[in-house]
Amino acid sequence: MSQTRAIKLKKAYQWRMPRWDDWSWGLFLLPALVVYTVFMAFPLINSMRLSLYTGVGLSPDRFIGLGNYIELFSNPIWRDRFLNALQNTFIFFGIHMLVQNTLGLLFAVLLSSSIKGHNLYRMIIFAPATLSVLVTGFLWRLILNPQWGALANLLKSVGLESWVQPWLGNPDINLIIISLVSSWQWVGLPTMMFLAGLLTISDEIVEAAYVDGGTAWQVFWKIKLPLLVPTMGIVAVLTFVGNFNAFDVVYAMSGVRGEPGYSTDIMGTFFYRAAIAGEHPVAQPNMGIGAAVATLTFMILMAGVSLWIYFSRRRAYDQA
Amino acid sequence: MRYKLFALLILIALLFSACAQATPEPPAAEPPAVEPPAAEPPAAEPPAAEPPTSQEQVTLTMGSWRVDDIEQMNRILSAFNEQYPHISINFDPTNPPDYNAVLRTQLEGGTAPDLFYLRSFSTSRQLYEEGFLEPLDDLPGLRENFSEATLSPWATEDGLPYGVPFIAVSHGIYYNQDIFNELNLSIPETWEDLLTTAQTIQDAGYTPFANASGDEWTIAEIVFMNLAPNFIGGREGRLEYLSGERCFNDENVVAAFQAVADIAPYLPAGQEALTYYDSQQLFLMGEAAMWFGGSWDIPFYESEAPDFGWSVFAVPPPAGNEAHVTFHMDAGMGLNATSQNKEEARLFLEWMTTPEFAELFGNELPGFFPVRNNPPQLANEHANAFLSLNEGRGQDVRWAWPVLLDGSPDGYTLMQNGAIAVINGDMTPQEAADSLQDGLAQWFEPAQNCQ
Repeated sequence: MSQTRAIKLKKAYQWRMPRWDDWSWGLFLLPALVVYTVFMAFPLINSMRLSLYTGVGLSPDRFIGLGNYIELFSNPIWRDRFLNALQNTFIFFGIHMLVQNTLGLLFAVLLSSSIKGHNLYRMIIFAPATLSVLVTGFLWRLILNPQWGALANLLKSVGLESWVQPWLGNPDINLIIISLVSSWQWVGLPTMMFLAGLLTISDEIVEAAYVDGGTAWQVFWKIKLPLLVPTMGIVAVLTFVGNFNAFDVVYAMSGVRGEPGYSTDIMGTFFYRAAIAGEHPVAQPNMGIGAAVATLTFMILMAGVSLWIYFSRRRAYDQA
Repeated sequence: MRYKLFALLILIALLFSACAQATPEPPAAEPPAVEPPAAEPPAAEPPAAEPPTSQEQVTLTMGSWRVDDIEQMNRILSAFNEQYPHISINFDPTNPPDYNAVLRTQLEGGTAPDLFYLRSFSTSRQLYEEGFLEPLDDLPGLRENFSEATLSPWATEDGLPYGVPFIAVSHGIYYNQDIFNELNLSIPETWEDLLTTAQTIQDAGYTPFANASGDEWTIAEIVFMNLAPNFIGGREGRLEYLSGERCFNDENVVAAFQAVADIAPYLPAGQEALTYYDSQQLFLMGEAAMWFGGSWDIPFYESEAPDFGWSVFAVPPPAGNEAHVTFHMDAGMGLNATSQNKEEARLFLEWMTTPEFAELFGNELPGFFPVRNNPPQLANEHANAFLSLNEGRGQDVRWAWPVLLDGSPDGYTLMQNGAIAVINGDMTPQEAADSLQDGLAQWFEPAQNCQ
């Protein structure tokens, strides 16, 4: 008797009418949800919808299914540009991973070892990231000018005139140079993230390792680096997303056509020409194709980020 | 209560001013009925609309890609305002590379200017076909003052005009008079002479030509299409390519690409990475003796270096060919089909056909030539030097503009890529001509008979 009452009571407790408190959390989510939906999710979905339409101008209105994607992959004019931009973006990303993030790690380790004046170094390393890409891109373009650029003058003044090259005009190296300039500018961000990661490593572990006779190299390689892996993942994903959305540095240093001969054309500039600017001198954008390019970029990003989430979750699960 | 009254007053004031625009008189009797506490701010509104004459103040906006011309255009527009005091025009230019896209966005969003600059040929033709442009076949003064050929870049195939021809630009070779005097050089008469001259200049330690391919369009527009008419036989020759009588890889086109190859050794060191601005500076600083250029740069050189002695000569034809000048129809003026003030805008367009406007414009903006019949005498020495190139020479627009931009791959890009590849040694002139022919044959029917 008392047992059934207890069950009844429990049931009553379990099935009571939802009260205000149970849903109040939703209210707190609401502002972010509304902003996110209106400014992120809706444009994203709308741009995907747009990629299924064709027409002249800003509001393509003729539904053609996957026609834009078929055009993008079958018409050699579009296909060559797309594959070229995709390849260049991967090279761009690769150089950032190799140079920007490796240097970032190196700087972070040096800064965390509290060398003399590390605050100054930290400021210097981070300073370029506070400038506009258009400004730094333009300055680098001036520095690299083969006629009167600072670098050309420097080389000439030490008798190395034959080393002066049209660096930004050489399709074999200009993408690398632009990637390096971009790496130089943004190296402060991975530095800060790695530095923060290093600072969270407990001193006890590090000291214990030294007490056990570990060398500085062993401590870095066997203790600090493994503990930095989650940070590396985040840095890699941010670099990946940033590079696939990049536009400004190429725009500032070689123009929207990735001159010369599309050798520095990346997804961002390709998308800009397809969807917004068109090709000089006609300058007639094709919004449908542009939206298709944007959707494909989104899918590439989605695949990359999903992969990262999968592996980082699995890591967390394995450790647990 | 006060708020309600206030709101009511505003509503009435709005209604009043709206009615005042449509029908001047009747509502004027109404306000006093609810007016008593009229010390409030809305009272300020009705008087603004009070002098409802037919000469109401109208402000038009004008879209353009000429951000450099704000001051000059404002002077021209204020001259118009003096004659038509009730119309003022607000000149609001956009950066050139963004112009077409921005204009299209505005047209589709209904926020486009009343009047706007029109690119020549297919770009504007498309705007007209989509209904964004008002047809101007009944504009007084248009047909009387402009030739059929001048009207055609802003007219349908049947000759219905939708733009007032406005700006022509000329092309030639700028030269540094001091260097030419120093080296005792004379103006080259033939292409072969030009190359000899260039060699002499190079031997003297100067860069012969300031041109560079860092900005790719410059090679297409001010080098290749500047010299091409001399090699393909001007307008008549060009029309034969368009009709299919000639192939785009015939010996004339190969010769035009060969001409680009001829000047390649005389370009500045590192030209692959030098921009248009660098070229201008090289010429300005006297490091380069010549530069394939357009008349639109006259104001630049005059303002940057007033004492700099330079002039211009026409690209010389190869021995035995007739001489031609690329005199390009660059801009027309169009009327927004959805403008609220078409009547006033038409008055301005009509004014643009007068000799008065042509003279004012030609003198305010040297290097941009009015295209009216009987062009006025210009005051600027350099502008006259450019204009005099037309004497005794055939004239034509830039090769790629008519028709060849209408498909993909377009003739402009093909010519540009070919010319740059020839300069950099990546293609022979024959290969460049072949790629032009093959590219156009993909969509341009007359070129398809040539395989």
